[in-house]
Amino acid sequence: MNLYAIALNNLLRRKAKMLLILCGLMVGITAAVALFMIVESMRLSLGDQIDEFGANVVIVPRAEGMEISYGGTQISRVSIDFEQLTGADLEKIKEIPDYNSINVISPKMVAAVKAGDKEALLVGIEPRQEFIMKPWFSLSDQAGLSAGDRPVDLALIELPEDSLIIGSEAARALELGVGDPVLINETAFKISGVLQPLGSVEDGLLFGNLSAVQKLLGRPGEISMIEISAYCNACPVEEIAAQLSAVLPNGRVTALRQAALLREETIDRFSAFSILLAAIFLSIAALLVLTTMMAAVHERTREIGIFRALGFRSSHVMQIIFMEAGLIGLLGGFFGYITGSLTARAAGSYLTGSNSPVFWQTDLLIPAVILAFLIAVAAAAYPALRAAKLDPAEALRFI
Amino acid sequence: MPDLLINLDNITKTYNSAGASVAALRGVSLEVLRGQAVAVMGQSGSGKSTLLSVIGGLTPPTEGKILIDDIDLYSLSRERRADFRREYLGFVFQQFQLIPYLTALENVLLPLTTTRYPGRQKREMAMQALQRVKMDQKQERLPNQLSGGEQERVAIARAVVNEPPLILADEPTGSLDTKTAQEIMELFSSLNEAGLTILMVTHNPENTAYMNRTITMQDGLLSEVSKAAAGTKPAAAFCGGSGQLL
Repeated sequence: MNLYAIALNNLLRRKAKMLLILCGLMVGITAAVALFMIVESMRLSLGDQIDEFGANVVIVPRAEGMEISYGGTQISRVSIDFEQLTGADLEKIKEIPDYNSINVISPKMVAAVKAGDKEALLVGIEPRQEFIMKPWFSLSDQAGLSAGDRPVDLALIELPEDSLIIGSEAARALELGVGDPVLINETAFKISGVLQPLGSVEDGLLFGNLSAVQKLLGRPGEISMIEISAYCNACPVEEIAAQLSAVLPNGRVTALRQAALLREETIDRFSAFSILLAAIFLSIAALLVLTTMMAAVHERTREIGIFRALGFRSSHVMQIIFMEAGLIGLLGGFFGYITGSLTARAAGSYLTGSNSPVFWQTDLLIPAVILAFLIAVAAAAYPALRAAKLDPAEALRFI
Repeated sequence: MPDLLINLDNITKTYNSAGASVAALRGVSLEVLRGQAVAVMGQSGSGKSTLLSVIGGLTPPTEGKILIDDIDLYSLSRERRADFRREYLGFVFQQFQLIPYLTALENVLLPLTTTRYPGRQKREMAMQALQRVKMDQKQERLPNQLSGGEQERVAIARAVVNEPPLILADEPTGSLDTKTAQEIMELFSSLNEAGLTILMVTHNPENTAYMNRTITMQDGLLSEVSKAAAGTKPAAAFCGGSGQLL
């Protein structure tokens, strides 16, 4: 017989009260664990979505001299002494340790050409890679569409070698529409689609198949730049850029800091939001423990008086209350973790709007149990103090 | 030289309630020798329970000094007084006051819970106390599985388990039928014969027959002294009210 046995016996006897406190704590921990797991899943999903949205690494040939830029990004420099990027460099990218973190690799050939009798900038692309990376591109018009049909998703489009997609501004300047023929450096092409206005430099560009553009320019295998979309959850984009620099000594690798900053800022806001919500739920749980323990202490006034009369010190009475709260805390933490994880797994995909499942996070078990224990003990502090301060004579109602 | 266990010197206790002062004890002096069995008689509100509470270290007096075994009880801190109760006093409360979720054995073990005895020794002591009150066969029963008399016996076992020199009992037969009350009083009598000092508050005159000294309280004053019964230890002590030593 010791204080622990008294605490345990009391809990077992007052099952309804114990279950009430346990449920309160469980709800708090369930909400916190579920929220944490869902938000963590959303963080990863959101990070991936941001990473998929455009390039976060750009590779251009390493060269000295005058810069040529595209879309604010340096493409190359006019120089007699520089090495071009080639298709072989694309293979080298696969050698980096974090290749699995790379989502899309989009090589490009960029050159100034004659379109009819006017100057234009032609970009050779691998259409599927390019348009997956830039999902904000869409067609306003497409060759061969029947009345009422909508243009296809660009990420699904097949672009024949003799076909071009042109930006809205280029279409206006060159007076071209879908289905129109156009001579590019004296080679016949056909306009198969016109892009929606983007308000960016892409509005003035012509897009063709990479291999067709390389052949047209007489530079087979050459690449002007490589844009890469990488997932940065597993490793920072700077780390991927460093690995790429190591395997591509002839290339200048630039990590787009703007994308990384946007990613960090968005994810940080999500984290802060989840912490705030979890704190609210846990505060409510603590309040429930506090009020229920207060009621329990009030209900046990006479019993505490007996303990004190039999020689229990105030600290012994406090220990009993803390042990009871601590035991419930441990149970609440454990079961709260289980129900929180199940809730997150059941509702996570629906709430995040993502198809990726919410994974069990076993490393959350111990923090959840410790957190519940601390909340229960902290919330029991005031009731325990009240119990310890009870006047034993008053408690026994001797008078 | 008489072996003095309780020495109350001019004790007053005044309660303030709703702006009014109520004097529960008005200058009580009392001496009780080791081995005496003292009945404190009196009607409700006479101050007898306050007297018990003050002697039990539960209610500090407004004025006066209390020595138990030459220890000035209220010079001790609140926590040291708890230790004192554990070592020197055994309480038998009104309505038994057993802890309902503990078995008879566990209830008897309670005063030993915070002592340093080894677990096995605690259990042996508790079993001996239960045997003493003939309740060892029902050690695993919860209080609600016991009759009123049985609960009272367990409460007495709890009071004597750590072998304190003084037992304080507050209306121990108040809720028992006549036959059971007699059995309990016989038990108290046998404990006293075994050497325990007993101070019992009661309003049942029949109980005084089992005690070797009777004090009557009225309006916070000790107003009567009865001599010890034949064959028991002499009631060579004095008691009094209004500051007088009787």
